[in-house]
Amino acid sequence: MPDGDIDARAVRVGVAASARLEGDPAITVAPPPDASTHLPQDGDPGPAFPFVDGIATDVRLERFGEVRARLVESAAGPAGTDLRTDLQLGPVRVDPGHGTRLREVVVDGWRIEVEVEFERRAVLRARARRGAGVASHGGPVEVRAIIPGRVVAVSVVVGDSVEAGQQILVVEAMKMQNELRAPREGAVERVGVAVGDTIEVGDLLVVIH
Amino acid sequence: MPVKDAAAAPPFRRILVANRGEIALRIVRAAHELGMEAVAVYSDADAMAAHVRAADLAIRLGPAPPAESYLRIDAIVAAAVASGAEAVHPGYGFLSERAAFALAVEEAGLVFVGPPPAVIAALGDKLAARRIARLADVPHVPGTLEAVSVDRPDQLEAVIAAAAGVGFPLLVKAAAGGGGRGIRRVVAPDELPAALIAGSREAAASFGDGSVYLEREIMPARHVEVQLLGDATGQVIALGERDCSTQRRHQKLIEEAPAPGLAETERRRLHAMAVRLGVAAGLQNAATVEFLCDRDGSFWFLEVNTRLQVEHPVTELVSGLDLVVEQFRLAAGAPLSPRVLAAADRAARPTSHAIEVRISAEDPARVFAPAPGQITRWVMPAGPGIRVDTAVEAGDRIPAEYDPLICKLIVHAADRPTALARLRRALDETEIGGIQTTLPFHRAMLAEPGFIDTSALATTWVEAHWDGPASRARAVRVASLAAGLAELGGAASDGPGGFGGSGAPVASAAGTTIGAGMVRQGSDDAITVDSGPGWRSAGRAVAVDRWPR
Repeated sequence: MPDGDIDARAVRVGVAASARLEGDPAITVAPPPDASTHLPQDGDPGPAFPFVDGIATDVRLERFGEVRARLVESAAGPAGTDLRTDLQLGPVRVDPGHGTRLREVVVDGWRIEVEVEFERRAVLRARARRGAGVASHGGPVEVRAIIPGRVVAVSVVVGDSVEAGQQILVVEAMKMQNELRAPREGAVERVGVAVGDTIEVGDLLVVIH
Repeated sequence: MPVKDAAAAPPFRRILVANRGEIALRIVRAAHELGMEAVAVYSDADAMAAHVRAADLAIRLGPAPPAESYLRIDAIVAAAVASGAEAVHPGYGFLSERAAFALAVEEAGLVFVGPPPAVIAALGDKLAARRIARLADVPHVPGTLEAVSVDRPDQLEAVIAAAAGVGFPLLVKAAAGGGGRGIRRVVAPDELPAALIAGSREAAASFGDGSVYLEREIMPARHVEVQLLGDATGQVIALGERDCSTQRRHQKLIEEAPAPGLAETERRRLHAMAVRLGVAAGLQNAATVEFLCDRDGSFWFLEVNTRLQVEHPVTELVSGLDLVVEQFRLAAGAPLSPRVLAAADRAARPTSHAIEVRISAEDPARVFAPAPGQITRWVMPAGPGIRVDTAVEAGDRIPAEYDPLICKLIVHAADRPTALARLRRALDETEIGGIQTTLPFHRAMLAEPGFIDTSALATTWVEAHWDGPASRARAVRVASLAAGLAELGGAASDGPGGFGGSGAPVASAAGTTIGAGMVRQGSDDAITVDSGPGWRSAGRAVAVDRWPR
């Protein structure tokens, strides 16, 4: 699709890369192509039907100050009802590396770190990633800490070959022993930690080639 | 200084609290209400913590790791002596069930607020406790009776041989354990050696003793426990029972008192078994006897916790007692008070219901992995029948070194349905930002029919019914829509409705929705549970009649 076909106002929203789980979708939210045709009728403050993934959707956001908000979805519940979900919006932070905007949204107790960027830019980035992906195919995999804690066991040394799912480290956090497993098979190229080390989220633990 | 009279004289002048977090704060509060001074101890991670701020004096123990701070018997006893404390309350966890600690406190000439060291040693040894149960004619869960050190090849072989007699699936448990730590479930014989080693390693890390034993897995089972108090004359009473069946991997998540669905005769039988065991063990002060209740309604003795339990507030709310206050009075040598004896008399005929949920810094989407971090938003529920035991607030960092429990939310009401409605309401009011907690789990459980009608209460129930990914997937969709609409709304923080609310000021838009809605009906005190359509199950999400057209 040529860039010219993408609404310049459209944004792509999804779970931020650091918090994303497999299968987390990204959606595109845009104003209606011609907002004027959707203006409310006389005395009717009704929804303005934003386009969600290209489909006009009866959904709106009510704000109660800086943090609290309520999403009202008219099509989501039984016929003739609104589904209202109270939520909290965190402050927007700009990710300087990618130019995306990050914010924490808490829904039903779930803390969802959300990433927002212009749809045009997202398309360009995806294109760039595909290009880079070919070059890095089969490259080393960095295993990084997803929880802070203390390393209590290191089961591999440099040069070991590991199977996918094989235990490589044991990290103790909050009194629980958490086993870290190899994301795929390969040879251990580097071990970045030793028993007794305190680790933080994002620390490089092991590189598998 | 608090006003004192002879009858309400403080049991001690000054006490030391050998713990951290919400329980340390809870004990400091009880001490202050009794007119006693409280001394806190802390690690470097807790120098600014709430229990330190609440105490009259605070003494540093050492660096953050528990082994260098809250587990240091020498440092804590030295702090107690140096501060002039007359008694030491251990709270739960850490040193609370170490006989060596209780002994060290007594040898320093101070009072340990808990059972005597010999009783802690006897009951803390899970195997010795099972032998005491047998003497007291209380049936115990079948399993091995000797502790095993996995470092000894001969013992390792012997226990593997004994496993066949116990039967699979079985549990590898820490002999010195408690609180669900160091337990491994073993389904087949070939998994046993690895489970023994892993269980022993966790036991050694958590309790300083890597000895383990085997126990048959009773399944499905309810976890029911009895609160005991005892005095120096040998009198032991039961203050009712708690149901803690909602567990995940032996970690309790929701606890309630009384245990739902028990007949008065069953309660009396259960309480009598616990008292028999307490008397046989020479119990003083406070302890809890844990049982598994199988499908046939038989109770099997599991273990005794010779300390205050995490879930003690539900018993406090139903019995009308302050257990920490009673612990201090008993520790000072007082007999069981008339207040306590009256509550014990009522215990088999409870007239109210209390439920506690443990809010922990854990990620329910990542198999409840620890999720420490900095709290950015902290709004706790309020109103009738709500108790919040916590020691954190917005801005606090949850350290990775300690237990992930950060808050206990407890509700009290006339009966279980009303308590559930109140808890649901309280969870709706709770707002936590910056860290992931178990809040979504609790919201989902409260919408489960099996939890509401108690028919399916069992320790295995959570694994079977909790669908974290589905719950989170809905939240992801709502969060993405909200963030997208907020973004399109431009300077959204200025208020009016983001993009979707174009043309309508937020106040009137929101007002219209609420005014026309069917959300709040009836008088203020009519608490009714809407057991209707499924969309209600989404926690805070509610469906309302669409606005006027």
